[in-house]
Amino acid sequence: MTGRRTITLVARREIRDRLRSRAFLYSTLLMLLLVGGSTALNSVVSREQSYRVAVTAPVPRGLDAALQRAATPFDANVRLHVLSSAAAGREQLDAKKVDALLLLRNDRLVFRANVDTKLAAVADTAVRALRRHLPPAPELTTATLRPPDVKTTDAATAVAYIGSLLLLMSLAVYGQWVLTSVVEEKSNRVVELILSTVRPRHLLAGKVIGIGLLGVAQLALVAGLASVLLAAGVFDAPASLGGSLALVVPWFALGFALYAVAYAAAGALASRQQDASSAGQAVTYTLLGAYFVSYVALSADSSGTFAHVLTVFPLTSPLVLPARSALVGVPLWEHALAVVLVLGSIDALVRLAGRVYAHGLLRSGSRLGLRTAWRLSHRP
Amino acid sequence: MWAMLTLADARKRFGPIEALDGCSFSVDRGRMLGFLGPNGAGKTTAMRAVFGLVQLDGGEVLWDGRPVGLEERLRFGYMPEERGLYPRMPVGEQLAYFGQLHGLTADAARAAASGWLERLGLADRIGAKLEELSHGNQQRVQLAAALLHEPELLVLDEPFAGLDPVAVRTLAETLRGEAARGAAVLFSSHQLELVQDICEEVAIVDRGRVVAAGAVAELRRRSQRRQIALQLDGAPPQWLPDVPGVELVQRRNGDLRLVADSRVDPQQVLAEAERTARVVGFSYGPPSLAELFLELVGR
Repeated sequence: MTGRRTITLVARREIRDRLRSRAFLYSTLLMLLLVGGSTALNSVVSREQSYRVAVTAPVPRGLDAALQRAATPFDANVRLHVLSSAAAGREQLDAKKVDALLLLRNDRLVFRANVDTKLAAVADTAVRALRRHLPPAPELTTATLRPPDVKTTDAATAVAYIGSLLLLMSLAVYGQWVLTSVVEEKSNRVVELILSTVRPRHLLAGKVIGIGLLGVAQLALVAGLASVLLAAGVFDAPASLGGSLALVVPWFALGFALYAVAYAAAGALASRQQDASSAGQAVTYTLLGAYFVSYVALSADSSGTFAHVLTVFPLTSPLVLPARSALVGVPLWEHALAVVLVLGSIDALVRLAGRVYAHGLLRSGSRLGLRTAWRLSHRP
Repeated sequence: MWAMLTLADARKRFGPIEALDGCSFSVDRGRMLGFLGPNGAGKTTAMRAVFGLVQLDGGEVLWDGRPVGLEERLRFGYMPEERGLYPRMPVGEQLAYFGQLHGLTADAARAAASGWLERLGLADRIGAKLEELSHGNQQRVQLAAALLHEPELLVLDEPFAGLDPVAVRTLAETLRGEAARGAAVLFSSHQLELVQDICEEVAIVDRGRVVAAGAVAELRRRSQRRQIALQLDGAPPQWLPDVPGVELVQRRNGDLRLVADSRVDPQQVLAEAERTARVVGFSYGPPSLAELFLELVGR
């Protein structure tokens, strides 16, 4: 019998066990409701958006009405500011008196620094209607007065912090599941029967993979819903951020593998259900520490040396990478290095945890000291 | 030719305690070995060593003369001293899971699970969670988990502990059936009368080493001592046969239980008794397994 088959069997049992408990289904529903609910709230709370658009005289008849018609589906309205010249329009745009300048003679819609896709769509539709043109060629090309702001938008910051908070919570919650699962098997004493045919590291891997898959499925549902909503423009944020949000899922998988193995080892060290929480605390504190260090480093300077170090440091990279890629973008080599280092750490941790697991699982009498675990890790 | 399972000079120390101190024994195919010893003698440690649950400090566990590895263990069945299964998992699914862990295909495991539940009279509880079953039925499921994959070696730690007499008989029959199928069966027990009844062979372990091993009848016969029971009518209260090598074990009313050196002629004791009183009953024979056990490990 191959290790892979054993791991699959163990993983499948874990998944079935969790699905049977219903807690998983309820928590998934709750998370989906939270995301969906925040969307609904967002659209209720956000009032009608109004745009100020400058246009040079003479204004074609019907432009105002056409703009209003086009804006209605977007929950927006448009106020026209008629000016004498394009130069005056540019001045007003630069002074933030208007949001865009419509130059009908050049088929051009000029923004200050960032293109507002919603307003661009409204103006394009209105002008097309006025000229009785048919799609698909765009009527207007967009332009900006200045190069776009490289400064991150509020939405990017929100995605970065909400994403890493989501990661932190998921790592802690699913890690705790692994811990509970290990301690349960130990207190049920079923572990002796299992280990008579299964290698400890296969049991460990099966558990982590099984619970991890459930976690990924749950997160993918939630992050997927959020990405779709982002892409659909429900949140007032650039659609590209959906990609950063999607990064949360693979990094959850890597981060989870790392921390879950640590949780499993902690569970193997605990002797009873009552000890489980205290055994898991060391891992939880490490995780929280990693989160706070990352948070502080990213808030201070998301492109600084420290942030770069944290991006590739295995304990922090699962939390830092998705956040930094939303904030400032991360070069490909840093992605690659982080993945390699995390995978290496997972491998090392699995070996150590396998030993602790094998040694600690059958001891139910006393808690196994960390010193013993350390000694075990150094045995050939 | 090698015996199926051999423990060769197994050694294991837990801190100051020598759990196994050169423990050696073997079980053959189709045989049933009763593994006896006082509490703390090292029985559970030896059994765990068979499954690699205890890393030996020295010595080996051999299967057909080769060191036991994971591949071999898949063909072993185990019932640990501390029983345990998944409480919230349905019984049938649970057994099928253990069958698959032992290398059965999903279909074969499911078929074996329902087959065993049928045999144990639990066919209608196949979908019930383990925790919904009575304690006795949970024990049966535990046994099925050990037998499901038709193991070549069956190791059971105290399988008779806590069973009622009917369950004891059923389990004894099941184990005999497994041996008849060709499995090597090793089980530990404190119920010595029971072991004497159902086992041909025993190994008695004390302080981590085997102090006696072999066929029960042979061990009894080889003992240096013989048991003599006398029922007398009208003997003086303090009377004892005046034969060298005979000692009193117990006296109650007119019944005397004596232990004698195996070289003592029982006729001599009987003749002495007949001179003093009317002999109502007389028996002579090798010690029972329980007496042998006390003789070997009694402190």
